[in-house]
Amino acid sequence: MSAEPTGMIFDIQSYSVHDGPGCRTNVFFTGCPLKCRWCANPESWRPKLQFMFADRVCKWDQGCKACRDACPHGSIQFDENGKPSVDWKICNDCETIECTTSCAAGALKQTVRIMTVSDLVNTLRRDYNNWGSDGGVTFTGGEPLLHHEYLDAVLKECKKLSMHTAIETSGYATEEVFMKIFRRLDFAFVDVKNMDPEAHKWGTGVSNERILNNIRALKRSGWPGRLVLRQPTIHGFNDSDENAKRLIEFMNENGLYEINLLKFHRLGQTKWEQLGKEYEYSDHGDMTPERMSELQDLYLDNNIACYVGDDTPF
Amino acid sequence: MDKQTKIFEILEARNRQDKSLDVSVDAGYTEEEIPAPSPRFEKLINIYYQMKNTIDMEIPYWYNRVWWENEGDVPEIRRAKAYGAALAHTTPTIWPGELLVMNKTKNWRGAFPFPWVDASFFNAQAEALLAEAEAPALAEADRMSVVGAGGGNVTESYGNVVSIAQKFGLRKEEVPILVKISRYWDNCSIEVVTQKYSEAIPDYYKYKAYRDTVLVMFDSWAIPQGREIINYYMPLEYGFDRIIEMCDEKIAEILGLAENGDGLLGMSRGYYYMAMKEITKGLSAWADNYGKRAESLAECEPDPQQKKEYEDIAVVMHNIAHKQPSTFREALQLTFLCHLAVVNEDPQSGQSIGRLGQVLQPFYEKDLEDGTITEEEAIELLELYRIKITSIECFASSGVTGGVLSGNTFNNLSLGGLARDGLTAVTPLEYLIVEAGTRARTTQPTLSVLYDEKTPEEFLMKAARCCKGGQGYPAWMNNQCGMNYMLRHYHDEGMTVEDARAWCLGGCLESSPGCFLPLHYNGKTTWIPGGAAPTAGTGIHFTGLPKLLELVLTNGVDKRTGIKVFEPHNRELKTMDDVWDVWMDYMTELCDISLKVNNIQMDIWRKNNPPVVASLLKPDCFTKGQTLSNMGCRYNSTINFESCGTVTFINAMASLKKNVFDEKKYTLDEMMDALEHNFGFKTAFETGVFSPDRREATDEAVKYEKIFTDCVNAPKFGNADPYVDDLMVHYEDLMTALMPTLKSYYGKPLYMCQISVSTHGPQGAITLASADGRLAGVTYADGSVSPAANTDKNGIYAVFTSATCYDHSRNQNAQMNVKIHPSAVAGINGTRKLLDVIRAYMRKGGFHVQFNITSSKTLREAQKKPDDYRDLMVRVAGFTQYWCEIGKPIQDEVIYRTEYEM
Repeated sequence: MSAEPTGMIFDIQSYSVHDGPGCRTNVFFTGCPLKCRWCANPESWRPKLQFMFADRVCKWDQGCKACRDACPHGSIQFDENGKPSVDWKICNDCETIECTTSCAAGALKQTVRIMTVSDLVNTLRRDYNNWGSDGGVTFTGGEPLLHHEYLDAVLKECKKLSMHTAIETSGYATEEVFMKIFRRLDFAFVDVKNMDPEAHKWGTGVSNERILNNIRALKRSGWPGRLVLRQPTIHGFNDSDENAKRLIEFMNENGLYEINLLKFHRLGQTKWEQLGKEYEYSDHGDMTPERMSELQDLYLDNNIACYVGDDTPF
Repeated sequence: MDKQTKIFEILEARNRQDKSLDVSVDAGYTEEEIPAPSPRFEKLINIYYQMKNTIDMEIPYWYNRVWWENEGDVPEIRRAKAYGAALAHTTPTIWPGELLVMNKTKNWRGAFPFPWVDASFFNAQAEALLAEAEAPALAEADRMSVVGAGGGNVTESYGNVVSIAQKFGLRKEEVPILVKISRYWDNCSIEVVTQKYSEAIPDYYKYKAYRDTVLVMFDSWAIPQGREIINYYMPLEYGFDRIIEMCDEKIAEILGLAENGDGLLGMSRGYYYMAMKEITKGLSAWADNYGKRAESLAECEPDPQQKKEYEDIAVVMHNIAHKQPSTFREALQLTFLCHLAVVNEDPQSGQSIGRLGQVLQPFYEKDLEDGTITEEEAIELLELYRIKITSIECFASSGVTGGVLSGNTFNNLSLGGLARDGLTAVTPLEYLIVEAGTRARTTQPTLSVLYDEKTPEEFLMKAARCCKGGQGYPAWMNNQCGMNYMLRHYHDEGMTVEDARAWCLGGCLESSPGCFLPLHYNGKTTWIPGGAAPTAGTGIHFTGLPKLLELVLTNGVDKRTGIKVFEPHNRELKTMDDVWDVWMDYMTELCDISLKVNNIQMDIWRKNNPPVVASLLKPDCFTKGQTLSNMGCRYNSTINFESCGTVTFINAMASLKKNVFDEKKYTLDEMMDALEHNFGFKTAFETGVFSPDRREATDEAVKYEKIFTDCVNAPKFGNADPYVDDLMVHYEDLMTALMPTLKSYYGKPLYMCQISVSTHGPQGAITLASADGRLAGVTYADGSVSPAANTDKNGIYAVFTSATCYDHSRNQNAQMNVKIHPSAVAGINGTRKLLDVIRAYMRKGGFHVQFNITSSKTLREAQKKPDDYRDLMVRVAGFTQYWCEIGKPIQDEVIYRTEYEM
């Protein structure tokens, strides 16, 4: 008998109110096959134990040096002012992250937990008492489909308990995996970041072909759940009329009628820095509210219910 | 066609059946805007914002004069005469634009001292006060620089005004009156007499040590009334003239007779009715004087509309001076009169209004039937009522007013719950009370919803919408939990299920018993709820639980002052059980001794200063013919033990358990060394920041780095971690066993009251670093089940799980504060999701939850620029207060509380 599958979870957020109907618990998986240039959760890219260094909460300026001996690999160094830094060349390969227990300020923070099916299901059972009649669990990430075996086992338990299940996914998986997971879902957000395969590849590192095919397959299957497309809307990347028109065409062909446009934001920027990565969207990509409103009208005129940001009817 | 309509069309065409869509198709999913308050409210509240806190000597002067004129009289009669005369001689003042009238004193905003309760403060300062009164006025420029920050508080003297207790301004010409009156009471104030008898307790020196080290926060005599629910039934049912007649009838019937062989108190009944007659005459004259004042104003008023308004006020005041009210407005005015009359007879806070929307519904209903009022007119009156209640100030010593109360007087108004018949009690008028509180945002009355599964959803949604205004009310109380507590604690006094349904909040969070009485009005009988007990909160006062733990670790000595608070226990603490044992030994001793002192304080108060207005209003005093002092009320086991810093204490215990006893990473001596050295950091006093996120290292910091990290990272309450939650359960078990062994001055068992109000600031200030990693001087965690700031890492549902690890109905309350970012609850779906989270907690048996829906950013901004945020309100503990009128330690703590932002 094989061991119980485990998942790599980088966060569990309760009372999540913008990721599906009602009040929800969001489970963030780590690991993602896409590498979006604007990603808000870059700490979720690699499916491994890791940490972040948040120098803004670090108390070095109050004289703290508690982490000085915490790294057995000598990665933590202090400059002449006493401010620590980490050497990401060393840290990127670290599997042990001993340093995270040395910090009282939460500046060295472990970002991934390894959870068994029952660990996660027990947490969800605890939260189940709080959701109310509309709410449930939303699996997001990272890319939850990357952990399909584990996710399927968790979903199986969730459905046994009649929980409302939702996913937020890039849709990037094999059709078999995609369909296997979706049969246990009530609600889904699938991202369509760009209709042009080349542009999609430029922005995310992969083509959109597989994603669009999965959506087509899902609709063909007569899946009874509710599918809302999502698009992080980024100036200069996917905010053209042309892209919207192609997406509308795709939605009409597949009987889809709901899309949620998320205005580009830069909330993930500090995380890039905390992971020692450079963030290229620090000075462009912003959308004006007027343009968001124009895009919304374009969808509405084509009989597609288009929601902007948190302003959704669920 | 707007976008939302279009979206709904698309979804409907697709046959998308969402519950949330069904409810919001008409309104859309963006909520309708909240209407602005009435222009009348706007005008008056803007005047209020300009008002300074005053002290006025009219009432003390008349009280003092008539009291001494009647030397030798029976105490309750003497007091009724003195206080009745004070009311009858108060100068009535009415401001243009007012519909509801009356103030505590002749000034709009302010209070007065009670030298008969506490004169030493003024006597000690007599010379200084007189000198200050004679000092030349400061230049205008200096005056302005003082008045800037702090809202209405007069923190320093300026111009012709002397600052008293860093909060109130007294006109210089009145200083000699204060000084002279205070001298009369030098040897006979409640404070002095209680002091004399308390000192006769052999262990009194220990109590003094508790107080001197601030282990216990204050004395009962300082605020002997309040933390209770008022009852407006008597005047609403009978009117003052009829009450006087009833007193005469009773006097004719029983004066000179002892009741059924009651040789102790039987004779008191005659004096009771004589006293009630005196005080009712005073109340009536007070109302008539306002009527006369309105008439005289009307006479010289050129503006016809204002003239008419004065005339209307005169009619209202003259009518309620004598008869049962004949309109909603008269009834509201009469309840306000009674409220002021009660809060003016003793220094007090937490005189709760109770379930006003149920009490006044019959009057509102009749006016609606008669077509003499509209909903909007009723809302306007309720808005003006909010200004009136907000203007109620309390004069007590500086420590009580600032340290405990943050300047709020907790006139709590409860909504919802169950009626006498067991069905929902929500009335149409309660919707308007919520509406007025939503539109007209003032600190008082704070609103509390008694949440019951039977409460109509639309009422809950309306209350949740109100909550989103960011002013902190309504708070949410669990009705079934409250009823269970009533039945459990008042069982021995014959509490019935019907009476249990009449409970609500007295003070900020003090669950208090009530009863229903039959109001005859408009040709029908309505059972209206009201308070049925004296103060629920004059037992053992705010006891700092983390401080007590500190004393266990220091072998009984307060390291800050060097005072020996307890006899050394000299025990080697080898296990957690040892720590618990010593802690409970100390706690038991503290309770035994504090109880005696408080019992004496309250007993002297009730004998020498028997309350007269409260004794008129509280059922069953008038039926029994006994004052509240003589246990005239229906329920009397209302006296409590107040704790502070519960979660800080539990977290410190968890860290000791983990770091010292379970994992043995450090010895207890090492831990103690670290705590005494504040983990190598500067104290909050040295840095001036009382929030946990500011640490300034000293040279010693390196030495304690590791232990500090382990303490900070030890398990914390609020994460659904049984390792810590079990300690909470153990604590509750120990304390609920101890409480009934303690008997109040009424001879009844005590119970636990777990609220911090604002004492977590000053008590945190005197506590060394604690094992949870909290630094010396830092404010304790507030409430009793909210996690310490920023230590809840598993989200709000985990917080709820921890909070409800024991049955809350065992105690009077359990306090949970939650801060939510406004974006999480935007729109109509946000309102529903806010209600979802409230319901989640109520379902688990959480007793109470309240929300600050204001971003930390806004609060930080307001801390820097108080003038720009004069009307910003926050929820502090069980109450709402203007941000600019709160002390900095509490401000820091509120900013730092974990914010749920999705």
